Amino acid sequence: MFPYDKADWSAVDGPMFMLANTAWPGIFTAIAAVICVWVLVAGNRSEQAQYEKAEK
Amino acid sequence: MEQLLAELTAQVAALEASAGVTNTNFAETFYYLSIPLMIIIHAGFLAYEMGSSRSKNVLSSGVKNILAFAFVIPTFYFVGWWVYWGFPTGLTFSEGPMGISGWAYANSIAWGWGESAAYMGPNIEDQASGVFFGAFAMFAATTASIMSGAVIERIQTVGFIILAVVLGSFAWVVAAAWGWHADGWLVTQWGVHDFGAAGLVHAVAGFFALGVLMHLGPRIGKFNADGTANHIAGHNMPLTVVGLMLIIVGFWGFLMACVIVPGEAWSWFADKQSTIYGTPITLSALAFNILMAIAGGIIGSWIWTKDPFWMMSGALAGIISTASGLDIYYPALAFIIAVSAGMILKPAATWLENRGIDDAVGAVTVHGTIGLYGVVMLGIFGSGFPALAIENAPVITLYGQIVGALVFGLLGFVPGYICAFILKKLGMLRVPAAAEVAGLDTVKVPAQGYPEGIAPSGPASS
Repeated sequence: MFPYDKADWSAVDGPMFMLANTAWPGIFTAIAAVICVWVLVAGNRSEQAQYEKAEK
Repeated sequence: MEQLLAELTAQVAALEASAGVTNTNFAETFYYLSIPLMIIIHAGFLAYEMGSSRSKNVLSSGVKNILAFAFVIPTFYFVGWWVYWGFPTGLTFSEGPMGISGWAYANSIAWGWGESAAYMGPNIEDQASGVFFGAFAMFAATTASIMSGAVIERIQTVGFIILAVVLGSFAWVVAAAWGWHADGWLVTQWGVHDFGAAGLVHAVAGFFALGVLMHLGPRIGKFNADGTANHIAGHNMPLTVVGLMLIIVGFWGFLMACVIVPGEAWSWFADKQSTIYGTPITLSALAFNILMAIAGGIIGSWIWTKDPFWMMSGALAGIISTASGLDIYYPALAFIIAVSAGMILKPAATWLENRGIDDAVGAVTVHGTIGLYGVVMLGIFGSGFPALAIENAPVITLYGQIVGALVFGLLGFVPGYICAFILKKLGMLRVPAAAEVAGLDTVKVPAQGYPEGIAPSGPASS
């Protein structure tokens, strides 16, 4: 979504990324952070399982 | 007083001239430096392909890759540059609304003979044509290198070079003229936006490779009688992974060269950088989004594979999946899209393999599938953005991006399929089985990759 009322680049005088000036950038940032944490948790679970397998 | 005013006027004029000289030299240097950065892409592809080959084919894979680079550059000079300027409005070859396209315009600047030759060689009054040509020639060579990896260990050298020339000096250039040019009909009529060439470089090259692979066939031993696939490991995974990292380094040059600097007669703006479409961009946007995309792609691939080859391929997929909108994505959104691209990478490659396609390095998936994915993703998130910096500009839409993705896919697949079919009929596509089994280095390379052999792995020391 274009972050200005009129779909015209001449109107742009600041942020020009999608959904600027809405709550979405914050939501995207939160989702990205959650992905990082989730991947680390899942990755650690997988890693520990590999160690247990190697010890058997 | 009058004398003072005259002196001040002269000083202002001198300052303006000096600023102009500085700007012109900066602009020329900007593109000039993007060229060696993009050559790092080819150093990367060279390492990645040689590492992915078995030791009996390591040098022949290298020779093939080096020759693709060497032949694409002059053929792009001979015809590719003309195609880019001549084709934007489609097969009418007419001049587009911006007045920088069409048969007559291309004839006036892009042939290496006649009056246009003035723009195709050293010219003290032209500090732009050579560096623009150089950057585009590197884009062209990149498409050939993308296809090169998919076909290793069983393709004939000259047959491959012909395919590389068709791809690098024609097929992708038509896609660029149509979708990466302010007069391109995909842009002016459909609002297609592909800033970083996810579709017009990566998808075109990936689907060209698919068309070739369908005629080339798999390597001996890749598939069992029941159709199940065997993994054919390359001889040097570290070389492959470092090669992939070098490609990532080179992509900074590739994407930098997609930016039009300000202040020149050919610039879109006097005071700010723009995309090739003339829409505003900053290098800061690229720094934010490329870095987040690389990270996202690696993380997404690590979730499923834990394999460094796929993780670094994921880094590439991260960039490619966001390349269309690197100018307008929010970094966290670029990260999320890149994670999703990294996650679908290996399953998509396995899907292709299960259909009997032996893509030795996953090029069809990384560049083709993810390239189209990136073009379409921009349609989902970027709809409503003006595709050009003019009044009443066409806007980006999901429908337009899907049309663009289809056109890019076909512009790659159809020429690749037809050319490979012709080469197959001429006996110039695949090496004989005996040569493939013996190893292509022994058969056609008068040098040895590892004259002292490669020591086998010993037992783990306790």
